Amino acid sequence: MTPTLKTSEAVIGYGGPPIVRGVDVEIPDGQITAIIGPNGCGKSTLLRALARLLTPTEGTVLLDGTDIHRIPTREVARRVGLLPQSPIAPAGITVRELVARGRTPHQKVLRPWSPEDETAVMSALHSTQLTDIADESVDQLSGGQRQRAWIAMALAQDTPVMLLDEPTTYLDIAHQYEVLDLLHRLHHRQARTIVMVVHDLHQAARYAHHVIAMSEGEVAASGAPSEVLTEQLVSSVFGLDVRVLTDPVTGTPVVIPAHSPGGHDADPT
Amino acid sequence: MRILRLGPLGITTHRRTFAVGLVMLAALAGLFIVALTVGKSDITILDGLRAAVGIPVGAPTDFIVGQVRAPRALTAILVGAMLGLSGAILQSLTRNPLASPDFIGISAGAGTGAVLTLWLIGASSLWVVAGGAIVGALIASALILLLSWRHGIVPLRLILAGIGMGFVAQAATQYFLTRMDVHDAGNALGWLVGSTTGRTWTHVTVAAIALAVLAPLVLWNARALRTMEMGDDTARSLGISVGPARATLAVSSVLLAASAVALTGPIAFIALVAPALALRLTRNAGVTLIPSALMGAVLLLAADQLAQQMPDTLQLPVGTFTAVVGAPYLLWLVWRASRGGPS
Repeated sequence: MTPTLKTSEAVIGYGGPPIVRGVDVEIPDGQITAIIGPNGCGKSTLLRALARLLTPTEGTVLLDGTDIHRIPTREVARRVGLLPQSPIAPAGITVRELVARGRTPHQKVLRPWSPEDETAVMSALHSTQLTDIADESVDQLSGGQRQRAWIAMALAQDTPVMLLDEPTTYLDIAHQYEVLDLLHRLHHRQARTIVMVVHDLHQAARYAHHVIAMSEGEVAASGAPSEVLTEQLVSSVFGLDVRVLTDPVTGTPVVIPAHSPGGHDADPT
Repeated sequence: MRILRLGPLGITTHRRTFAVGLVMLAALAGLFIVALTVGKSDITILDGLRAAVGIPVGAPTDFIVGQVRAPRALTAILVGAMLGLSGAILQSLTRNPLASPDFIGISAGAGTGAVLTLWLIGASSLWVVAGGAIVGALIASALILLLSWRHGIVPLRLILAGIGMGFVAQAATQYFLTRMDVHDAGNALGWLVGSTTGRTWTHVTVAAIALAVLAPLVLWNARALRTMEMGDDTARSLGISVGPARATLAVSSVLLAASAVALTGPIAFIALVAPALALRLTRNAGVTLIPSALMGAVLLLAADQLAQQMPDTLQLPVGTFTAVVGAPYLLWLVWRASRGGPS
């Protein structure tokens, strides 16, 4: 069976030279996929194309086997949700109202709020543990709570595929793991397909089933974390000599720099 | 939340928004009755209402209410609603409370278009002047967009370009005024201060048609507007066709402002203040269109009444009056922004 979301020879850019240069990726259904790579490698660009925010200049993004650009915007929004890197919360909006906006693609002009809408919002609030603070203003929340509220909005959208652009950036370590554990539970309980761009390789290894490593607009490697996060690959993709250890808790790879602080023993040449 | 139903159709609104809307409607009805009945000659409420809808009640009243007060009050209501709606759309699209058609040169462009029409054609027909105002506003908006466009719209640049555009348009208007026949120039000047005096049923008809066409178009895109406040990416991923929705809304906002200017001349500050007040009263998160329109109507009708009821030595056209009231609000907005508070 072909996956719900894949790209075929996709060349993607913003009008200038292409940022993503002809990539074929397949997003495994019902799993967590992490896209990793150095700054400017095109990982966010790829994610935006998967969300139909960018049109490939060549090649295609396929959703359920159809070119995603032949599918109406609203129809895409019922199948693929995206949490952008820095979404804007309207001033004074409550958590519940924000989450309710996730229902937008399911609503029509002059059709009132439906029981299905209500159920989806309640269950999104519940699975993100926001029910108790649903009537608080989003401005008042901590960083971690706010990110959970945005994820709840994407959940209320009720799409089989959820894309997240750096969901843990700007959060402290406890809140980062709070968000990642939430994503893990969503995958586990609701079998959602989750794709996230992340910077932290340890988090990618720990939480993702599938890792796509990008380098200079191309896919350098993809597969299970233990296959992709090797000393050789990470060293070449990030241009940093690294050692790969094993996480004592999960058995997944942990990547650390090979040199000591200050870079004394860094250069093997 | 409250759901208003009509068969299978319905809209969802907050209870508070609904209540505020009802209060504003009541205020509007009250002000309308005051506008019909209070003045140099006092008229009973019943006679006033009858004369307003064309039921004859006696010689002076039929004329005073039927031909003077009623069209003037209705013009104020409709133009106020247009300004409120236009401002609400612009402020939401740019996510900036300073964006309003009178502030960023759109109304000034409409004024230039109307004055140029008066000069070239010597047009006395309201429809022709309205056409000139609309063309002027569209050209001004296109120029503002062109000047501020760089890979998309940056709100601050748009506002700065708009303020610049406003000065250019005003200079052009001044130039046309100096070239005009003195009599025409006098008329144009009277129109340029913004006034509801002497408005007729033709004005009411033009206003009603403009609103009847544009308001449904805007309300149809209300959800898109609200969603776009969360950023283009979020809006798109929630299924909004951002490009077409934004273009429709922006053009509607410009046309509403231009029609308003064509009817009453530029009336300052209503478009700036009404959406902000509506937002504060309803405590909505994000744009609230119908309350903004109602608030615009209430404000303009109230300002018009106050301006009329002033003692003769203090008589001001309503456009000047709104500026006197609106300028302090603008200063307060700037003061708040400079203190880093929420705007």
